[in-house]
Parts: sequence; C-alpha cells; structure tokens
Amino acid sequence: MQLHYDADTEKFRAELRAWLAAHRPSAEEMRAEPTTSSAHLTGWSRRWQRELFDAGLLVPGWPPELGGRNLPPVQQLVYHEEMAKISAWRSNNPQGLDIIAPSIFDYGSEFLKQRYLVPTLRAEIAWCLGMSEPGAGSDLAALSTRAEVHDDQFVVSGQKIWTSGAHHADYCFCFVRTDPDAPKHRGISVLIIDMKAKGVTTRPLPDLIDRDREDFNEVFFDGVVVPRDHLVGPLNQGWSISTGSLAHERGMMWLSSAARLDGMLERMLRMAREPGPDGRRIGESATFRDELASLYVDAQAIWFMGYQGFAKFAKGEGSPEHSVLKLFGSEVAQRAARVATEAQGVDGLEVEFHGTGEVEGGGEMPWLKRYLQSYGGTISAGASEIQRNIIAQRVLGLPRR
Amino acid sequence: MDFEITPEQQELIDSVRSVLATECPTALVRDIVENGSAPEQPWKSARELGWTSIDLPETLGGLALGFTALGLVIEQHGCRIAPGPFLATTAQFLPLVCEAGAPDQLERFAAPAGAGELSGALAIDHGRAAEHAAGESLRARRDGAAWILEGERRYVLDGDVADEIAVAARVDAGDGVALFVVPQGAAKARRVVAFDASRPLAHLRFDGVRVESERVLGTPGAGARALGRALERATVAAALECVGTCQSLLEITVEHAKNRRQFDQPIGAFQAIQHKCADMFVQVEKARATGYFAMMALAEDDPRRSLAASMAKAAASDCQRLVCKEGIQIHGGMGYTWESDVQLFVKRAKTLEALFGTGARHRQRIADLLEI
Repeated sequence: MQLHYDADTEKFRAELRAWLAAHRPSAEEMRAEPTTSSAHLTGWSRRWQRELFDAGLLVPGWPPELGGRNLPPVQQLVYHEEMAKISAWRSNNPQGLDIIAPSIFDYGSEFLKQRYLVPTLRAEIAWCLGMSEPGAGSDLAALSTRAEVHDDQFVVSGQKIWTSGAHHADYCFCFVRTDPDAPKHRGISVLIIDMKAKGVTTRPLPDLIDRDREDFNEVFFDGVVVPRDHLVGPLNQGWSISTGSLAHERGMMWLSSAARLDGMLERMLRMAREPGPDGRRIGESATFRDELASLYVDAQAIWFMGYQGFAKFAKGEGSPEHSVLKLFGSEVAQRAARVATEAQGVDGLEVEFHGTGEVEGGGEMPWLKRYLQSYGGTISAGASEIQRNIIAQRVLGLPRR
Repeated sequence: MDFEITPEQQELIDSVRSVLATECPTALVRDIVENGSAPEQPWKSARELGWTSIDLPETLGGLALGFTALGLVIEQHGCRIAPGPFLATTAQFLPLVCEAGAPDQLERFAAPAGAGELSGALAIDHGRAAEHAAGESLRARRDGAAWILEGERRYVLDGDVADEIAVAARVDAGDGVALFVVPQGAAKARRVVAFDASRPLAHLRFDGVRVESERVLGTPGAGARALGRALERATVAAALECVGTCQSLLEITVEHAKNRRQFDQPIGAFQAIQHKCADMFVQVEKARATGYFAMMALAEDDPRRSLAASMAKAAASDCQRLVCKEGIQIHGGMGYTWESDVQLFVKRAKTLEALFGTGARHRQRIADLLEI
C-alpha cells in the first residue's frame, strides 16, 4: 500500500499528459459543433477518437491493432485517471466504445469482429444499446421484443425505450427474445440491427430537464429483417452477454463519475466565496460548511474505494463492489446538487444555460437542472434499489426471496 | 494510489486476527464490563509478538514496519473490541514521545513502550480537535529548570492505569504548547464511570505537579507542531479502530438477519432489511478506504496528512452513526438487551466517535483546511 506509483507508471503519465495537451479537442471546436446525443459523432469527435486509436491510447489494455498498447492494469488506471480529468470524453459514443466494442470482442464471431470492431473504435460508426423496454426496466430479463428465428434471418418486432442516441446511431446492439417458451433468462439473444433497415423507427424522448434535450429515444421494430450472421454469441445465451456488457460499463466508469463529482465540488467551493440570497457569503453558513465538508469527504472516498476495488480487479478477482461505487457515487452527486440548490435559494430559479453538463468554456449547468440530472445517475444502469439488492445478496450473502 | 495489501501485510493481518480470535473473545470483553477484571490479554500477545513496536525505528528496537502496519493491527483490535493498553500506548503516547522527544527520552520512554515494558497514555483536550488540543484547562509555568502543571485533563484513555502519561499543556504566559511525560500518580486520577467500561477513562487533576527538565519534551512553547502531528496519528488510529468495530457489528447483524426467522422466512430476505445492510456495508467500505488513505498519508508524510486525518475521522463518524443505529434496529428486541453483544460494539464505536474530535468537529477542520 502506497500513495505513489513506480517511476515507469509516472513516466507514462507524463507522456500521456503531454500527448493530451497537444491533441485534445479545443474548447472552441467543441463549442462550434456541440454534441447533442451519446451517438452524435461530430467532426472533431471523429478526429479526436481516431487520433487516440492511432496513438494506441483508445483502449490501452488492448493490442495496437485495436487501438491499444497492451498496458498493464496499473497504467490503465493512470490512463483513465488522466482521461477523466479532461473535459472531452474519449468517445462521443461511449456505449459503443465502452460496452459494445468489448462485447463484440468477447462474444462476437470472426465475421462480426472484422466487420464492426475496428470501425467502431475508429469512430466510423456509432451505436445505441437496445436493452430497456416499457415492460422491462429494472427487470431487464422480462424483455419482450420478439425475434422470430428463421434459417437465414431473424424477424424482429417490438419496442425499446430509454435508448440513448438511437436517432444518431448506425447500429443497435439489441437484446431480443428468441425463445418465448424458455425461462426468461434463457430465451434472450443479442442481434446487431442496422438502424437504417426497413421497419425501424425512432422517436426522441426529451428528458425532464429541457424539451430540447434529446438523447433518449423510443425505438420501434416492425418486422425488421436481420441476417442470421448478425447474431452475437450463441442463440438464447444473451443474458450472459448482458451481465458481461454491464461489467464492462462498470469497470472503469467510476473514474469518470468521481471526476464529475470533483467538478461539482470545485464549483461549490467557488460558490462558498460568493454572496448568497441574503447578501452574505454562502460559506459563512455553518450548515453549508458542514455539508460541503461532508460532501468533500464522500467525493474523495469514491476515489479511495475505486482504488481499493481496482486492487482486487487487477488481481483478477470479481468485484461486485462496483455496485458500491455506482450506488454511492450517484447518491453523493445527488446530495451535492441538492445542497447547492438549497444554498442558492431563490437565486437558483433563473436558468439560462441549455447544455448537457459542466462544459468547459460553455458555461455551467444551473444547479436546479443539475439536481434533476442527478436522478439519471440514481435510476439508470441499475437503479440504487437494484444496487442495494446486489450488495445485500451477492456481497453480504443475504437470501433471495 | 496503490491500495493493494501486500502479501506481508496480509500475513500480519491474518496473524493478528487469529491471535485475537483466541486471546480476545467477546466473552473476555464482557467479563471486564461486568466484573471489572483486568486481563493480561491481548496486551501480553501484542507485546510478545512485537505489535507494540511495529511503528518504531530499529534503533529503538522496533520492527520499523511503519504506520500502515500499525493501522492494520489497530483495525483488527477494533474488530474484537480489544481492551487493554495497546491503542493508547502505540497510537497516542508513542507518537507524541517520538515526535517531540530528544534521543535520551526516546531511549527512556519509547524503547520500553515499544518492548511492551511500559504502557502509556496521552492527556489532551478532547473537546478541541487537532491544533487546539492543548486547551487552557491545563497550564504550565516555568520554575527554574523545571515546570509546574496546574489544571486538569479530562477523559484520558487509560489515564489512571498507564505507567507514563504524555501531557499537552498551555504555557502560562502566552499561547505556546508545552509537552511533558509524567509518571502515573503525579496527577490525581479519578476514574470515570465510562460508557464503554472496557475502555477506562480518567480525569487527571494537576495540583502544582512539578515536572523536572528531563521529562520536558522539546522546547516548551514550541510544541504545537509535534502535538498536531502526533494527534493526526491518534485520530487516524481511533478512526481505524472504529472501522474494525463497525465491520464486526455489520457481520454480526448480517448473520442475525440470515438466521432470525419471522413470517416463515429469514428476516434478511426482506428488502427493507437487505437495503439497510447494504447501506451499512457502503459506509464501512467508505470509512475503511478513507482510513487507509490517511494511514498511507501519515506513513509517507504526505502534504495532505492533516486533511486526510480529519477525513478519516469524519468518515468513521458517518459509518458508526449508521452501523450502530441499524445494527441495534435489525436485531430487534434482542438488540435492546444487555445479553446481546451488540451493545458492547455500539459502546466502543460511540466512545471512539467522541475521542479526538467528533465527526462534526473534524468537518469544521476540513472546511477550515479547504478555506471554505
């Protein structure tokens, strides 16, 4: 146990920082062509992701032909630390890069890997992830989008919801029911569906923050024909891919949420020096001081817990403790936003900014909107209640009902 | 940041855990609480196995494994709610002597404490955390080469049983901090009827206690820095012991939830109980990770050490608050009884919360350090 890494690791960090300083997208180009969804590959974002790929800095644990450089786990951690600190995401299609590409790598046929893996990594194509349905949210295995199995093709009918970026995506990595008679976890398969295929329609579903914020969609499949070779993994074995996909999502996701929370805390530390609605410095309030110090401890603790989990992960031990990070991180972010809104009081009611986050140079999201946005964290990717079930049952060994 | 426990550290943890499981069963703690007995164990094992000298340099006969190793040992003591002089000697008395003592004083006090030949305590003002812990309630005035102590120090852990007591006082003229080591008996000790009877606390009354120059640590008036640094160790140690105690309380509670049946099923199958247990687990993980960070920051003398120490105590505070509450609640009526061991763990955790600054006090300090 030590706070500092070895010299080789720190040398890599220094090289990476220098590279990022030279190649990261500028605030001007990001502002000139803003991202409007999680599958919206803008010009600058394609250029940036392609440069990361070519430099072996996109998926550093993978080999050079897949945009990596076979880095050992600790250097991968340092990589993600540094990437979390810059304002641009590694990819403007995070589900494509972090969930779908690793799933194709792990489960896809040679044909699918050849056809989709490198183009995804080089930001030539964008993806959406077809999981939730109106009747299958937390209980994902209850999904009912049906794929009839024929000799040479599948025919898909049904509906997905909360599908991020579907209106911009080229393909959908879609969970469908291929055996309606099997127990619910054993009748699911994964198909790659061309979003331009006949019978696919998308309808944007703005979130509660602003009517023009369109990332979510409803996606309707009406007799969509999917070639048989676009099945990912074995037929009816899709559930294990779903747990695998989500594991990819959780693996390093805590770093970006920890970095985002640090950003919120920095904002609140600045806010403490500004006048509140009563004209006095916000930081003079004993309540605010106590809350902010408490939030600071929790925000730092996320890093420490992440490093602790990483020590297990690097040893190859499974780590359902990722649930702890997801649960705690999203709830702390929500508490931070709530504390900030309460400190602002009536001054928080004026909301001009229409952006998607704490965007450098693009202004900051008003706190009340940020507070609403925090519910995306406690609901999506396994709601807090589901995470508590996982911790209770899989970590603490309490019985399932 | 590398949080991976090394094989040597794991070996240490396993060894301490297994020795304490044998030598420090909960029944032993209960016996102290109910009968006031003063057992040899687990101090005897700690002495024989060298745990007492784990954070001392080799020149003083120590194992020189650093504060990280000491912290891990203390966490294990917390898991067993271990009684005895280990915490006060290794994590309260020794840090101050080592921070402020001259070489001959280290030979005289630190080496024998490391060898387990003498036990120590630390007398500070627990009502004020960190740099203000040398509160005015104890004053020191010069008398030739010697010093006279006047006033009191309250809630001194092992204050009436430790062989030697490190004392922080305020210099009479001015605000300076003066540090001393006084032998047991120099001050009038009054045993407190303590909430956790396995943790003896005493009020020490100093009525003109004369301290010879050989027992003065460092330069009187200039002791604030040494005191602050020693208190960071004491604070983090209290936090880590609290983490261990909370870990055990969580385990006992989860075990109860698996075994206790109502409505024809284990109560642990109810989501209401599961979610409480999950939240307890999160708090324990948070407090442990924060405590480990602080442990490393002190071991490496990192510039973040003050902030880290206060964060560790604040996180331990959050943790014990929830774990004690839900630990009793989930045990139901049984948790409300004297016979249940839950009360022993709760009392230890609440005692550790109050010593060396409560969570709220440390959050104030964090706010100060962050210049909020």
